[in-house]
Amino acid sequence: MSIKNYDELNSLELDTLREIGSVGTGNAATALSQMLGRQVRITLPEVRIMGYNEAIEWIGGPEEITAGVLVKLSGHVNGIMLSVQPLEFVNIVLESMMGKTVGSYDQLTEMEHSALVEVGNIMISTFINALSGLAGMDVNLTVPAFTVDMQGAILAVPMAEYGGQSDYIMTIGGNFVSENKQVPCRLLMSPDLRSLNALLRKLGVSDG
Amino acid sequence: MADKITIGIADMKMAKGEGMLVTYALGSCIGICLHDPSLKLGALVHIMLPLNMETGRKNPMKYADTGIKETLKQMEAKGASRSRITAKIAGGAMMFKDGSGSLGNIGQRNIESVKLNLKKEGVRLLKEDVGGTVARTLLFDVNSGLACIRSYGRQELII
Repeated sequence: MSIKNYDELNSLELDTLREIGSVGTGNAATALSQMLGRQVRITLPEVRIMGYNEAIEWIGGPEEITAGVLVKLSGHVNGIMLSVQPLEFVNIVLESMMGKTVGSYDQLTEMEHSALVEVGNIMISTFINALSGLAGMDVNLTVPAFTVDMQGAILAVPMAEYGGQSDYIMTIGGNFVSENKQVPCRLLMSPDLRSLNALLRKLGVSDG
Repeated sequence: MADKITIGIADMKMAKGEGMLVTYALGSCIGICLHDPSLKLGALVHIMLPLNMETGRKNPMKYADTGIKETLKQMEAKGASRSRITAKIAGGAMMFKDGSGSLGNIGQRNIESVKLNLKKEGVRLLKEDVGGTVARTLLFDVNSGLACIRSYGRQELII
């Protein structure tokens, strides 16, 4: 049966999405390990279905400044993927790639911007490769877009994109850990409802 | 400093006499401050999308058209007069500049719809700070009718 709202997902469907999140972020963690030259693992994969304002609280408040890399998905799966990069994560990346850190986002050079976009883009692409392999679906990715601004407004992009369909946002993602320390970077996938149904059918957990 | 009242996404709140209405991190969303100066009655709506085409219409404040209409109705129920109500708006930015344009420009569509619906409802738009690429936090003092806009990497703006 096709669902009409994210909160209609049953536990089998949620488990399946969590599995996608696990494999996707696992692959992204491997890619990140290679880029940073140190071991990165994922903790528990998460599937969350949240009201708009709940989602903003969950990510850590609306006004916190963060960097975001956004890629739009099309083809068999429509959706948005975001790599949300707090300053601590930015510094982990810059330190291992360029041997320096910054005190704030406005100190970033053009080159360092590009590095962050690339890290986000590679993590997103490996996540989607894993998903499309699992489900046997073709997914096209747009060129990554980048911004530094209030994280509430960044998270509102996928909300607004699918706001006509639902009062909730669904995110599939996970947290990264390296050398027993949290690597504060979130990788979020927000599919639209139609794609979510198609994905669950392909994976054999929905008979619709 | 007046009490702060926080308005979430797809939400609206009112205050009368005294009160600071605040909504955070407007990206492509728009904050609409509606004010009846003689009652010192103010409302702040945080809309996300231009047009309500949802069946059921559970959440009118999510959309520019139904959000403005419903807020005006609630203000009038508190004694506000349509002829006195004025508006100030902020938001409608484009958070990600992507070359392919595949995200569309929800911010721009929101701006157009808010302006159209204010006009349709006969509400005068006094001031605006819309478009661009920066997120905005909007604070609205219902006593003075002044709005303050806070952004990252930009000076505070009073409208």
